[in-house]
Amino acid sequence: MDIPTAYYLLLSFVLFLIGTAGVLLRRNALIVLMAIELQLNGGNLALLAFARELRDQKGHVFAFLVIALAAAEAAVGLAILVGLFRSRESVNLDDATMMKR
Amino acid sequence: MNPANAAAGVPVPIGHLILFLVMAAWVAFFAILTITRRNPVTAVMSLVATFFGLAAIYAALSAHFLAVIQVLVYAGAIMVLFIFVVMILNREEVAPLALRPMRLLGVAAGVYLTVTFTQVVLNDYPMNRAPVAVSETYGTVASVGDMLFREFLYPFEAISLLLLVAIVGGVVVSRSHQKEVAAQRAADYRKQVAELATRDYPGAQEELPAPGGHH
Repeated sequence: MDIPTAYYLLLSFVLFLIGTAGVLLRRNALIVLMAIELQLNGGNLALLAFARELRDQKGHVFAFLVIALAAAEAAVGLAILVGLFRSRESVNLDDATMMKR
Repeated sequence: MNPANAAAGVPVPIGHLILFLVMAAWVAFFAILTITRRNPVTAVMSLVATFFGLAAIYAALSAHFLAVIQVLVYAGAIMVLFIFVVMILNREEVAPLALRPMRLLGVAAGVYLTVTFTQVVLNDYPMNRAPVAVSETYGTVASVGDMLFREFLYPFEAISLLLLVAIVGGVVVSRSHQKEVAAQRAADYRKQVAELATRDYPGAQEELPAPGGHH
């Protein structure tokens, strides 16, 4: 496909912005974790777009490592959510105030 | 980057452009659906659709290996994990959106990001700049795997260690503490009974049978 790099960068930018909006605006911790995944995917898309622009596959390796990192983050984050739910009966981030004050 | 070196001003093939715009619209639409749905199950399904669209975009970037990994790991493994946790924790939300003064900082960050993007990135990579051609083997499993296991062997091993730690950490954090809580309650109860016994019958401790013992 002969699409200029700028189009991919624009899409990755939009994806990252949507993810950031989700992280900042939502209260449900599950949705926040999904929005973080969207941000990571936006970063991955930028890595791959620049990798093609520079004809360098290092970006592919980094994107692969980011995907593995996202898997680890999802596993630990969801485990923390389950622990939070056990103690608070809620996944609302506004209820997670045990370490406040 | 020197844009003068690249062949600028080449029109994008209309068929490719339409295909790309369809995929981009698909990705953006389902991404917005992900963060706006009240029901977490709908959000997870939209996220799966987003990841499939992204896999198509990766393939369009000749990142064939990453397109396969995206479907296998993201749309497969990670999303199954999400589905399981959503099934465990599904609760109705009263007010899903929260807009507080602190979060207006995020809006400022978004504006900053937009300005940076339009000023810097689009300056170096203009929209009409023709993409560079890549070789046949670019982004295939063979060539990316070769780089991964030679040049990036140590990062690869480090990330596998990280995954192991994440697995153990996930099990430890989400483990049920009910048995320990019950044991603690039983111990407290026995202690309370022993204290009451010494208070009501002072000097009779020696005659009390040891708990669980047969005399």
